Amino acid sequence: MGRIGEWVGLRWPVKPVLRWFLEEDIPGGPTYAYVFGSSLLFIFSIQVVTGIWQLLYYVPSTDHAYDSVMYLRTYVSFGWLIHGLHYWGANAFVVLLATHMARVFIWGAYKKPRELTWLLGSCLMLLVLSLTFMGALLPWDELGYWAGEVGTNMAGTVPLAGDFLRRLWRGGPTMGQLTLSRFFFLHVAVLPALAAFFIVLHIIAFRQFRNLGPWQREKERRTGPFWPDQVLKDMVFASIIFLILVGLCAFWPAPITGPADPVDNTYQPKPEWCFLFLYQALKAFTGRWEPIGTLLLPAALVLIVFLLPFYDRRKERNPHKRPMAMTLAGMLGAFVVGFTIWGYYSNPGGSPSSSPVAPGQQGSPAGPPAAFGKAPEATKGAEPTGPLPEVQVGEKLFRSQGCAACHAVNGQGGAVGPDLSNEGGAGRSREWLTAQIRDPKSHYAGSIMPAFAQLNDQQVRSIVDYMMSLTAKGGGASSAPGRAAVQLAPGIEPAAGVQPPVVGKEGAPGRAAGIVGNAKHGAVLFAEYCQACHGLEGGDNVPNPGSEAGKVPPLKDISRALFDKNPDVFAQNMDRLIQHGAVPAGERPALQMPSFGDTHSLTQQQICQIEAYVLALNGVDRALIRNPGVAPPVFFGITAGLIAMAWLTLVVWGVRIRRSSTA
Amino acid sequence: MGVQDAGGREEHDKAPDVVQSGRRAFLKKSFGVLLGLVSAAIAWPMAGSLVSPLYRKPKLHYTKVPGFGSMPIGQPVKLSFSDVVVDAYMREQETQDVWAIKKSATEVTVFSPICTHLGCHYSWHPQSREFICPCHASVFAVSGQVKGGPAPRALDTLQYKIENGELWVQWQRFLPGTSEKIPV
Repeated sequence: MGRIGEWVGLRWPVKPVLRWFLEEDIPGGPTYAYVFGSSLLFIFSIQVVTGIWQLLYYVPSTDHAYDSVMYLRTYVSFGWLIHGLHYWGANAFVVLLATHMARVFIWGAYKKPRELTWLLGSCLMLLVLSLTFMGALLPWDELGYWAGEVGTNMAGTVPLAGDFLRRLWRGGPTMGQLTLSRFFFLHVAVLPALAAFFIVLHIIAFRQFRNLGPWQREKERRTGPFWPDQVLKDMVFASIIFLILVGLCAFWPAPITGPADPVDNTYQPKPEWCFLFLYQALKAFTGRWEPIGTLLLPAALVLIVFLLPFYDRRKERNPHKRPMAMTLAGMLGAFVVGFTIWGYYSNPGGSPSSSPVAPGQQGSPAGPPAAFGKAPEATKGAEPTGPLPEVQVGEKLFRSQGCAACHAVNGQGGAVGPDLSNEGGAGRSREWLTAQIRDPKSHYAGSIMPAFAQLNDQQVRSIVDYMMSLTAKGGGASSAPGRAAVQLAPGIEPAAGVQPPVVGKEGAPGRAAGIVGNAKHGAVLFAEYCQACHGLEGGDNVPNPGSEAGKVPPLKDISRALFDKNPDVFAQNMDRLIQHGAVPAGERPALQMPSFGDTHSLTQQQICQIEAYVLALNGVDRALIRNPGVAPPVFFGITAGLIAMAWLTLVVWGVRIRRSSTA
Repeated sequence: MGVQDAGGREEHDKAPDVVQSGRRAFLKKSFGVLLGLVSAAIAWPMAGSLVSPLYRKPKLHYTKVPGFGSMPIGQPVKLSFSDVVVDAYMREQETQDVWAIKKSATEVTVFSPICTHLGCHYSWHPQSREFICPCHASVFAVSGQVKGGPAPRALDTLQYKIENGELWVQWQRFLPGTSEKIPV
């Protein structure tokens, strides 16, 4: 080893470089206050390593990106850890970056001659935030897709060049494959290379001007070496960070939001937490003022940070003697933290008046409340002053009772029941509609529509109000064709142009069976499409006269024929029924399972979310880690045990050495 | 970070301002231990994920093969069916063929359509009642036995089950060119 080192040393300046890099007396001595910069370098290394490793499995294509990430997370040994470290590492990166910048600011370490060090660091801040934003899109899940949609739209609000910039980000007019490729190109190749380059420049500048030390003159006289004293402190901190990251991966895995679905409007997008303050601030600017929030505010924040050493040129470093700087920075910090928290707890979609939360709304099981689609679309044709409260309540009920499953939703779909998008203009009386909801067979003896006897009078009134508010734009042409379907029993008329479905178990599972959905979002969709027949949380026994069982099969404690501990098999068993529908055994079952996949009533993405929810109802985790390598808690235990043991040994050993040297 | 370098250490130890060289050596060792542990905790999962998929086995399953009910007895028939083939995270709908010879309503022989010699697809010749592979003229009897040509083993049979009069086949590939039937 020594000879090889000598050989290399004669041909490459190992020693001088190391000496330049490590040999330094820190004024005031080493301290844990200085560990944040090096911890960023540590996290960057973790991001590089785990990022490269994910490329073994990830593909940047819209049809397989999500599946490839979920495959890594559930089927590859330690995939959960490699993905998790990258995810949590990104979060830790932002937190530590903010801490590092605050530290440098408080110590006044950006002042002459360190202006460029600060500027290079500010560039790194922008790069890290960009990497965080771009990385979130890559799994092509709901979270990333919608963050990308909103983010690129923000670029679109730039005056004059907006349209071009949006297209530049997206690689075209809409989000799609080329958008994913562009984000991939930036996140995986361009930005990391730039960041590495800036890190080198940043560190060179730091080494050249050395550590600044404390602001108190008297403390500066005591000095201590950078290597190994400060470096060990850095390493101790890095090992703590590492343990925290592993713990987060093991006990608090990255969220699973389900595959991106551009059609599904029941998902409420919110950005990553580090952009929440901008997101919240953005809500204050609407209409023509929007560019202030989307463009001027972020630009101003960036400039305030970047130009700090140029407008704050006083030599004074002691924070106690910089009341103005400290106060302004404190206010900025309070704004960011405050708006982040506000944004976190805020309802998506802006002002409360526009969010259609009906008081006392009926069962959205376990799922997030108030997470339904936006009201304005559904109430088109209502008075220009906005929908009446009863109409809103009615619309909520229309969705939560599952009417939308069979009837048209906002004038679209509706393969089973008639289109109701012009019901207000169809000439029905309120009494007729009330009777139809209460007892559908009073109008059509063969109707397969269930009787909604469980609703109280007020609720039926609200639904009727909602029905009456639905009018086609321009009126006149009532959509009669669908109406005939009501009288058809028990056969279901498939939508025009769609092949007659292969019923139930006979058909093959669809694409949804192989996609890992998000149970929480599934709960929202379930309430909208499935609950009317399968009951609240799939547990109620809704009567189904004419069927052998006499009731709709419950989905909680589901039939053993469908249940399986293996989430893939369970999902496949269910998927056949959801895709192709099923007719229950019996003479003339009043209700039958509509085909949601073959008729495109639900997208494959929506179906996989609902499947995840039903699996969860039965205690099966759709995202179960099939092949963890080492079980996450065990891995954390081993790592924590070893590192803690090392800490302990080092402390004990260190104390002994100190004693013997003082003796 | 190459801070563990032996050369660098010597250089520091000789520095005149160092009084407690024992303490310094200890700090360096401590650094090395922690760095080593953290590196190992990262290297282990990386190695694990790298080799993770190497020995995974394809999941076998039965797929319904239509057309069994109307098949004549004793006559080889090529049946096609559609199957979802899972390759890691890719799921492709693929069409597969099998040769089936019905013996009764509950008994059948199902052959893989792939020649056991070098993997070509053979065909049925009704006049001579033989399966003949076009590539190297391997000849198989209706029973699957080799009648001539270079084929090293009889045609590969596939597992099947008959439920409610319907045929379900477990699709599987075997290594061509060996005298033993080895699943791939």
